[in-house]
Amino acid sequence: MSHVTTQPGTPGTASPPTGPPPTGQSPTGRSSGSRGGRRRLIKRSTLVGWSFILPNFIGFALFTLVPVIAAFVLAFMEWNSYSSPSWVGLDNFERMFSDENFRVAFVNTLFYAGGHIPLTLVAALTLAVVLNRKIRGVQFFRTAAFFPYITSLVAVAVVWNMLFDPTMGPVNQFLETLGISNPPRWTASTDWSMPAVIITSVWRDMGYYMVLYLAGLQTIPEEYYEAARVDGANAWQRFWHVTLPGLRPVTFFVVVMLTIQSFKILDLIVVMTDGGPGRSTLVLAQLIYREGIREGRFGYSSAIALVLFFIVLTITVLQFRLNERRKA
Amino acid sequence: MRARLDRNARLGKVVASAAAVAFVVTACGGDDGGDSASSGDGDVTLSVSVWNYDTTPEFQALFEAFEEANPNITIEPVDILADDYDDKLTAMLAGGDETDVLTMKNVIGYSRYANRGQLADISDVVESADTENLAGLESYDIDGSYYAMPYRQDFWLLYYNKGLFDEAGLDYPENVTWDEYADLAEQLTSGDGGEKVYGTYHHTWRSVIQAISAAQTGGDQLGGDYAFFTDQYEMAVGLQDSGFALDYGTASAQQADYRNMFETEATAMMPMGTWYISGILAAKANGDTEVDWGLAPMPQRPDSDEVVTFGSPTAFAVNENAQNADAAKRFVEFASGVEGATAIADVGVVPALQSPEITDAYFALDGMPEDELSRTAFEPDVVELEMPVSETTSDVDTILNEEHELIMVGEKSIADGIATMGDRVNNEVR
Amino acid sequence: MSALPDVVSPDTPPRQLNASVQARRRKSLLRKALTYLVMTAVALLVLVPFAWMISSSLKRNNEVFTVPIQWIPEEFRWSNFVDIWDRIPMVTYLRNSAFLSVTITFLQVLTGSFAAYGFAKVRFPGRDALFLAYIGTIAVPWQAYMVPQYIMMQEAGLTNTFWSIIFLQAFSAFGVFLMRQYYMSIPDELVEAARIDGLSEYGIYRRIMLPLSKPALASLALLTFVNTWNDYMGPFIYLTSNDLWTVQLGLRSFIGQYSADYAMIMTGAVISVLPIVVIFLLGQRYFIRGIATTGLKG
Repeated sequence: MSHVTTQPGTPGTASPPTGPPPTGQSPTGRSSGSRGGRRRLIKRSTLVGWSFILPNFIGFALFTLVPVIAAFVLAFMEWNSYSSPSWVGLDNFERMFSDENFRVAFVNTLFYAGGHIPLTLVAALTLAVVLNRKIRGVQFFRTAAFFPYITSLVAVAVVWNMLFDPTMGPVNQFLETLGISNPPRWTASTDWSMPAVIITSVWRDMGYYMVLYLAGLQTIPEEYYEAARVDGANAWQRFWHVTLPGLRPVTFFVVVMLTIQSFKILDLIVVMTDGGPGRSTLVLAQLIYREGIREGRFGYSSAIALVLFFIVLTITVLQFRLNERRKA
Repeated sequence: MRARLDRNARLGKVVASAAAVAFVVTACGGDDGGDSASSGDGDVTLSVSVWNYDTTPEFQALFEAFEEANPNITIEPVDILADDYDDKLTAMLAGGDETDVLTMKNVIGYSRYANRGQLADISDVVESADTENLAGLESYDIDGSYYAMPYRQDFWLLYYNKGLFDEAGLDYPENVTWDEYADLAEQLTSGDGGEKVYGTYHHTWRSVIQAISAAQTGGDQLGGDYAFFTDQYEMAVGLQDSGFALDYGTASAQQADYRNMFETEATAMMPMGTWYISGILAAKANGDTEVDWGLAPMPQRPDSDEVVTFGSPTAFAVNENAQNADAAKRFVEFASGVEGATAIADVGVVPALQSPEITDAYFALDGMPEDELSRTAFEPDVVELEMPVSETTSDVDTILNEEHELIMVGEKSIADGIATMGDRVNNEVR
Repeated sequence: MSALPDVVSPDTPPRQLNASVQARRRKSLLRKALTYLVMTAVALLVLVPFAWMISSSLKRNNEVFTVPIQWIPEEFRWSNFVDIWDRIPMVTYLRNSAFLSVTITFLQVLTGSFAAYGFAKVRFPGRDALFLAYIGTIAVPWQAYMVPQYIMMQEAGLTNTFWSIIFLQAFSAFGVFLMRQYYMSIPDELVEAARIDGLSEYGIYRRIMLPLSKPALASLALLTFVNTWNDYMGPFIYLTSNDLWTVQLGLRSFIGQYSADYAMIMTGAVISVLPIVVIFLLGQRYFIRGIATTGLKG
């Protein structure tokens, strides 16, 4: 459904699940034969397109896009937020490659994203499918599922840390009854602190993405399910062949957002482990904050942000392409 | 393929032009005049950055005293949350903020702002004032110049629960060594589970172990050789391993609160800063706790013949962009002087200016322990700085903190942890 | 155009008439009971931290962080819920938070869905590069460009006004991306048909896209509202005057230089969750099958 790679102005990007590709060449549907007419139409549709985008774009460009670009320019400079910046070329990037903190934070961030993205995706989808029915009390369950996202972060950190407590915590007591004699020390150990953070973050975010999936489920026409039933599909087959394909645009959105959010995770880690013990949960966003706002090395901090940006952008573009290929 | 290239070129153009715009905008940052907040002759409105104005009585006390002494000056607090105070100050100053007086929450922040040239040189004020008894002033000396002047100096001492000492039939901890302190902790530990009373409580801050051992051994926390931490770590890790102090892993995971530990009588002793005195006084006054408490000097090393502890001052600085620099300097001087010190001592805060009269005023507060030991505890012989100030302070602080955690949760042995601290400080801090 | 009959869930058994209907019905009843049991257990587990929050809001401050955790306060201090209104100007803070959240949600939904139509259904050169730029900026942590942004806001004279927060959040790329994805799932034929019927692009947006995307609009509004309501760093950096502060700033003001009043923080947090619950209950009424698809059958 999307088209990072298609030539601008070509038709047929957003086709319905089953229908034939649209035939119109131009947004107005009245395709015209002559070259000049075509150009006029492109010009017109450009105007129309921009008129839709502009109200949002002005606000976005002025106070988000411009500062972001300024930060990227700073990645090639040295700046302490007060004196005038000086050009240092690629120094900040060279420094990054010899910086142990960067390496640690980079690996930790990948670890976090690798755990958080798939687990949250599955949890959110399961919740949405289970809670997308007309049963009594469904409102309560939906609200409950959303509650982790609105519970105070301090409460989240305290309670989860308590659950993970190495000696007195219920998690380890449960593991011990299962016969595991030497359960992990979770947030008090360097090996298990990141898994503990991932579990907590999945718990916290699943309700958020459930909301997106719930909205997505409403767009799947009931007729598709009827048709599948007539064909004798069981519940699992209906899920696999009707629900999942119908949710593809939402899933794409959820995956991209999850990727972005995991790569810039900060708040939960700050209150739960603050990067510790040692550097075992130090992540890139935290390093960006620390180097920039705290230490005043804004050039270096921006350079890390730029690297983070390119990693996420690459993954996003890959997802765009993958999504497109699957659709074709 | 061609299409993609075209698009990339176009994207490049967009980015380049946007960057140009961004550049112009940021380049203009910080240098515009802005409109003046000050009014004409005589009457001045002085803006002072503070944290939690409504709940931090020292600021109100100081401002009232200053306004009374200077009727033509009105103070306008710029209220910032204590929690992320320095983040906001960093942003404000980057934007060319013109708040006249800036409160320096700690010396690390101070060295940062001063080194960036965001604070005005007030060496003249410091030189003309009587600073002989002004504790903590030397921390603000940067190559012979001063950019801030302390008005408040908190230092560490030992809080203890008289009731629990009496119950165990032990003498109050007067002039104890760390070994004696550890023995006391063992004898004071009792009970189990939710009822357990620990002999002592070490809060999770690294200063509890590192700053005190630096102060008492003369070790340098910026030096890169941390063998001098060893004794203190062995004592602390020993105490938590034998269950006489709350386990670090539990304390940090549960965000254990030192006030809670002491006020619910879950610990018999607790090394902590003097700022807690006003907290505990308030808790007693509100009926939130019934703990019968006293103050004792920090335990010492066996070979020591004086009482050595560490402290952290709080100071006022003048913004380089201040609109009312003269009034701002007058305020800074006032706050560090006798009148300022008296005003904040009245609300239970330890002023940087020390004199017997001010200590008397302090101990005259409602609810202060009246015994001799507490009074002695309040007058240590030497107060070292919690952390030396230099360009590398903040980076070293981060490393020491990370390795401290690893030792305390038992991921690294004491020797390994201390060795890594040295390696990392020598390799990573430039 | 009528609403669909209630054949809701994907796993309702197919309607077949045979002898095993009875057994099947019994089995489905059992399954229903089991589902409820599991869902209730999960819901309770999920709500544990919230329970701690409520319990702490009824404690004395020095009882909040006990080791081990004390779930039921020794004495219920309901007075916390009275005191907090005196300790901080809670009414002002709630009003500010409400104003910001409503304004920002309204602007985000309006401009976001409008722009999304441009990105999803109008084709023009440069569209995809622009869209990528939109998404790309979401990937940059705010801390990385906070200072340049602050300097710009200061230059524009917007710091310490609500405008700064509105500009910061109302035009975020999130809403554009979300709405675009939903519009992509609406078949192009529908739009084409409307164009042939002579509807302008704006007409299509207003008459067809908006009504069809109610669930998506509801989820965007809900999530924007929650994020704005709970945001702390943005208002903290940009709003200095106490009478502009939001609830989240008010709660943080209980954290002092050396210690914090966590009982009050939790009391305030419980109060600040209530408006969100109301919004959630209102918003999720749109998550009912049928709303989005009725129009498609026209």
